[in-house]
Amino acid sequence: MSWIKGILFGVVGYLAGYWLSISLGVERGTEAPFAIGYVFFFAGWLLGAGVWDHWARSWFGLENKTPPTKESHGWKRYFMFSTDHKVIGVQYLVTFALIFFLAGAFAMAFRYELMRPGRDWLSPKEFNTVMSTHGILMIAVAVSAIIGAFGNFVMPIQIGAEDMAFPRINALSYWTTPPVVFLILGANLLQGADYGFDFGWTAYPPLSTVAGLGKLFFLLAFMTLGLSSILGALNILITVIRLRAPGMTWGRLPIFTWGVFTTSFLSLIFTQFVFTGLFMVVLDRVAGTAFFAPDQGGGALLYENIFWIYSHPAVYVMIIPGFAIMLEILPTFARKPLYGYKWAIGGFFGIVAMSATVWAHHMFTSGMPDWMTVPFMAATEFISIPTGIIFLSALGTIWMGKLRLKTPMLFALAVVFNFLIGGLTGIFNADVATDLQLHDTYWVVGHFHYTIVGGEIFALFAGIYYWFPKITGRMFNEKLGKLHFWWMFLGFQAVFLPMFWLGYNGMNRRIADYIPELAGTNMWVSASAFLLGASFLVFIYNVVNSWVRGPQAANNPWGARTLEWQIESPPIEHNFHQIPTVTGHPYDYGVEGSVHAVLAPQAEAAD
Amino acid sequence: MERKNKDLIYASIIWFVLTFVGEMLLPSWRFIASPPYSIEGELIDEAFNLLLVLGFPVFTFVLVALFYSIFRYRVKEDDLSEDGPALHGSTSVWLTWLIVTGLLAVIVLIHPGFTGVSELRSNPTADMVVQIEGQQWNWTFTYPEYDITIDKADTLVLPVDTRIRFEVSSVDVIHSFWVPAFRMKIDAVPGLTTTMYLTVTETGTFEENPNLRVQCAELCGTGHARMRASVEVVTAEEFAAWVEAMQANAP
Ligand SMILES: [Cu+2]
Ligand SMILES: [Cu+2]
Repeated sequence: MSWIKGILFGVVGYLAGYWLSISLGVERGTEAPFAIGYVFFFAGWLLGAGVWDHWARSWFGLENKTPPTKESHGWKRYFMFSTDHKVIGVQYLVTFALIFFLAGAFAMAFRYELMRPGRDWLSPKEFNTVMSTHGILMIAVAVSAIIGAFGNFVMPIQIGAEDMAFPRINALSYWTTPPVVFLILGANLLQGADYGFDFGWTAYPPLSTVAGLGKLFFLLAFMTLGLSSILGALNILITVIRLRAPGMTWGRLPIFTWGVFTTSFLSLIFTQFVFTGLFMVVLDRVAGTAFFAPDQGGGALLYENIFWIYSHPAVYVMIIPGFAIMLEILPTFARKPLYGYKWAIGGFFGIVAMSATVWAHHMFTSGMPDWMTVPFMAATEFISIPTGIIFLSALGTIWMGKLRLKTPMLFALAVVFNFLIGGLTGIFNADVATDLQLHDTYWVVGHFHYTIVGGEIFALFAGIYYWFPKITGRMFNEKLGKLHFWWMFLGFQAVFLPMFWLGYNGMNRRIADYIPELAGTNMWVSASAFLLGASFLVFIYNVVNSWVRGPQAANNPWGARTLEWQIESPPIEHNFHQIPTVTGHPYDYGVEGSVHAVLAPQAEAAD
Repeated sequence: MERKNKDLIYASIIWFVLTFVGEMLLPSWRFIASPPYSIEGELIDEAFNLLLVLGFPVFTFVLVALFYSIFRYRVKEDDLSEDGPALHGSTSVWLTWLIVTGLLAVIVLIHPGFTGVSELRSNPTADMVVQIEGQQWNWTFTYPEYDITIDKADTLVLPVDTRIRFEVSSVDVIHSFWVPAFRMKIDAVPGLTTTMYLTVTETGTFEENPNLRVQCAELCGTGHARMRASVEVVTAEEFAAWVEAMQANAP
């Protein structure tokens, strides 16, 4: 079992690193031995999990183990080190679904505290940590879930490849993510002054350079997450560029693959900024530097710039894959070609290019020079143009279609609805005047939940329902799927719509307590939040039950045209009996005689 | 082709009616629950309302296209018998869309965008200075012209109809000086002095309107939520009397 061995090796590594740094003269009682210990923990964890086996065993002249397959290990292979892109995809999907539910549970905890003004059960310090934990875990989900799960499982099949370009780096980027969760939960378990981290997911110094081991854990966790993103992005870029099947020209690439591909440019380039920013904070903490310490000549605003140079593109790392899933699903269930396929790709590239130029819209009230707000406001207003392209593409696709409102389609349509509200409310944040009031209020909380949860997470669930039969070979219960959709959709509106009102009328974000005048609305929001949380019980029941004993799924239950639907459910190892030849466009619904690809004959619904 | 035109006409009519009715009703919608107490706040409320008016047709456009399609084109869920028409969108449709969305962006960028920045953030004159210093987790207010400093203050007293320059700083971590009723905030950054200009237009107290309060708006640690002080806006005479009393009390 890779997990147990990984933890064992990790702990040994940690102790070795700690001991090594002490014996080399690093002062005991400072944070430095812990930071160095973590680096060794990380190395030990990867070693124990088996990520280094292939190299290490050959160095020592040992024979390499045969990789686990479905035949040899069954479901246990999902808990083991594997370089199979489909296994890694499932590992990502399940791991991040669990992180999503965990982060949701943290939200339930602080919404309980916010049900009434005054203190109920969390101390302000606990509140801040619980709220920040919700934030960073959800960021991890938003950055990695779609890319990790479907970017791995679906994308290589869509392009007609047998696996990713670098299967071992792929595994490395997955096995890099569990330590993120260990650290975040670890910080929540520390006691006394070391407990927790109270700076949101943004970790602005000097607040994040205040002593406390939990804060260091957070910083190391975020850096580790960044490492995983960079590795994953590199792999996806190379895979799409190098491994497309014969005939899979750029003009025939499925839109989901385009989304994953364009997103990876952002991850690869910009994640390095946040890694650097966080690393400088760590140096300020453990090495006595003063990059962000104003009393020693450092600059607090410098961090905000470095942070947002990554973290604004990061919101597009989250939403482009969401758009891509939506645009992938709409043609299938509308029985129409994707409207303006090339324009939509242009929209993705437009967003990618422009997202690099808008970061300081998070800093209109930071004290940056007034004239500098203007170009960032302009760039932010203009990014609505490529986003608008995606909208017209979605609307044009369903216009005059033959709409079949199956569960994945409902979720995809909800993305349009939610992101409409999320996008329009964003204009109020982009405008300097209104942002002076709205910045750091619940308006912003409402806005980014509408875009990221309403846009991306709804798309994630659309993708889970859409590809569930392909991944598991079984069909989920359609009635329960619809029940989950309506419950989640209505619950979501009830939670986040009132937040716009709260924000404008005096409730700032990240507060453990608020003025009594806002009590009624907060009670409503909290009650709705519990309702929303409960909707996922339906999902979990449906998915677990269907995975174990659902009816056998057909190879192509939705009548879709892309390659993953032309092969067995679940696909065989290396996906294809013979590499397919791509001959036409993936979304030619209603086009007489158009064939996307020619494949060797497939077995239908084995056993 | 005929059906396509009919649907376009119906959807356009619904969109037009919905937008028209909505735009008529918007002005009477009391989204903003309490009045702005400053000239700047009025401008910001106006900008907010203008963006609502401009955003509403876009909102209804997408909504109508979405729901019209859902209700009009819905077929049986397992019906794979027929495909829809293979529409790709002519270049002219796409160019129109780009021009319309581009123009909308330019409009809001000019007004309330540019105009907002120039009205709110580019006139560095003031009748009076108030220095605001944040620290974990309370505020210090200094009136340099009157030699008054209030440590760990629980009330910020301001004279009405006076243009005030707030000089904001912090001794420890980043805070943010926000008075919701004035609609403005500016961060208190250690190592920097940031400024914010305001002309308060109405007298009032925290007891009358809870948005008349200084609220720290940037997460600053344990006491962040309760890092507040009430704001009291008084007449010029009352302010003079308050200054005198404060100076008399000074050690
Ligand atoms: Cu941004
Ligand atoms: Cu504060």
